[in-house]
Amino acid sequence: MNHILEKHTLQDLLQSWRQDYDVYLPQKMENFSHFMPLTETSVLVDGDPHNTRIPPKALFLPMNEALVKFTRFGGYEDAKHEIQSRIVFGIRPCDAQAVQLLDTSFIQEDNIDPLWSERREKTITIGLGCHKPCQTGFCTTVGYGPFDRADLDAMLTDLGETYLVETFSEAGEGCFLGLPVASEEIYNQALDIQRSAHDQMPVAFETENLKGKLEQNFKSDYWDTVSQSCLGCGVCTFLCPTCFCFDIVDETQRRERVRNWDSCMFRTYSLEASGHNPRPSRVERTRQRLSHKYVYWLDQVNQIGCTGCGRCVRYCPVGLDIRAMLRQAQTLPFEVSHAA
Amino acid sequence: MQPNGHSLYTPIPMHVLHAYYESPDRSLKTLELSFDHAEDSQAFFEAFNPGQFCLLSVAGKGESALGVANAAWEGDFVRFTAQNVGSVTAALHKLNAGDPVGMRGPKGNGFPLNDWKGKNLVIIGGGCAFSTLYALTKHVHHESHRDDYGKLTLIYGTRTSGLCMYKHDIAAWHEDEDMEIHQAIDIPEDNWQYHVGYVPDVVKQVAPSPENAVAIVCGPPIMTKFTLPALVDLGFSPENIFTSLEKRMKCGVGKCGRCNLGPQYICKDGPVFSLAELNALPADL
Repeated sequence: MNHILEKHTLQDLLQSWRQDYDVYLPQKMENFSHFMPLTETSVLVDGDPHNTRIPPKALFLPMNEALVKFTRFGGYEDAKHEIQSRIVFGIRPCDAQAVQLLDTSFIQEDNIDPLWSERREKTITIGLGCHKPCQTGFCTTVGYGPFDRADLDAMLTDLGETYLVETFSEAGEGCFLGLPVASEEIYNQALDIQRSAHDQMPVAFETENLKGKLEQNFKSDYWDTVSQSCLGCGVCTFLCPTCFCFDIVDETQRRERVRNWDSCMFRTYSLEASGHNPRPSRVERTRQRLSHKYVYWLDQVNQIGCTGCGRCVRYCPVGLDIRAMLRQAQTLPFEVSHAA
Repeated sequence: MQPNGHSLYTPIPMHVLHAYYESPDRSLKTLELSFDHAEDSQAFFEAFNPGQFCLLSVAGKGESALGVANAAWEGDFVRFTAQNVGSVTAALHKLNAGDPVGMRGPKGNGFPLNDWKGKNLVIIGGGCAFSTLYALTKHVHHESHRDDYGKLTLIYGTRTSGLCMYKHDIAAWHEDEDMEIHQAIDIPEDNWQYHVGYVPDVVKQVAPSPENAVAIVCGPPIMTKFTLPALVDLGFSPENIFTSLEKRMKCGVGKCGRCNLGPQYICKDGPVFSLAELNALPADL
């Protein structure tokens, strides 16, 4: 159902959810937005549509979390985590898409990550669509959009003084009970904004045959060129909403086995005990990062594994731009017969 | 979730039953582990297939992926041989009979034994990667499975004769007329009566017939790299050449992202691939 939410009543509504849920929403931290728990004094970040620096994947896959507890006499047990029912408010559609993409890895038949899955089940996600293009985003280029529903429970469209609230699930509807129903006219006005936001998004690169070009040029010196200025800092993967690689290490003093976010841009990521490293330099590691997003995800679930959030572009310390890299990839040779 | 109700990441408790060195230089140690709980044993053997691996765990040191080196008929235990190369394998080398150890597994696909029924098997191993091939040979050679397969040929190379694993069985197989075995060492030694040379060269010299045969190769990357084309030259089709791959692994269940080869995860979709499958994947090894 569609509702109207006056902006000045938002704070009261958010506070009312706190009775039953832990509420997370983007708030200002230093110079960035960051998903933090709602307190009595929290203020929703306003201004033009933009993303939090740390993607909301961190709410489902924390940067650091215990998996296993060591017991006395060499035994092991599952690490216990108290997972509360939560509402995540203000998640952007690109990030919501990313979380849904990650479900395909963490929630597979007979192969379910228990912590990811429990957090997903206990979380209501309320999206905030992007009525204007953000700085470096390119969601429409990769097949997503500024008002994509993904599997959001509800989504807001900014209409100036009010929000249009579209609810897509019972849980989502439950959050907005009692709000006035939006008229047809207002709904159509919101649809116009959504369509125009979609149309305003620039096309950053062509995706036609991109997968085939990257595949066929696996050994091309294109990879040397595009990785030349990379420092290997890993920020592109760390802040990427669809990157999910993790390391598992034993924390002896805590008597726990812990997973930490990891990055394929690091040398030690693939370094084997024998000294052999399948990806010894930043050339192979850059190729892995781009190929994972633009080739392997497509092979696995037939979707591009990049939702165009633009974080890797914005935060790269040397200004490497995945959009430019992929535009350059489009100039690579390609044989059609090969692709069949 | 595992059959015992624990999370994917929690090892099952095991104890070391036997621990012994395979080589005089003490670089290779075999551990035979017994299950602490009968349910875990039952769940393990219901799922087990030669060619699979497990993650052995030493609390405080971490986990290491090791191929299972025994056949199910051998009894209620699991055997691994670890080379002492990293911090976890060093910790595994310190274990003795009676010590606790954690294990997750069996993981991966294992060898497609059903597809190989009625065929001749050419098993080619190098160094300590021979462990899963040993499990395969023990399985196939057992009287209850032997009739399912044709001729059995084994080619096994190591750097020195001392580094040859499972010497007792290898010696017995030399006497066994049911099996053709070619053993090789890289460096010449006095009184060595078998081949001297690298495995790919021995394969060319022995020239096993590709007629109704599958070849299974498992060894260090450099050996595999040169053995696969040698088999193609002998007339084996890529569909009939198999290899077992290894990459650095952490989770063992296709979540942590580390061991990918293109869209496939070696831990979950492998570790056994045919050459035809590998040819369709990027050369990211």
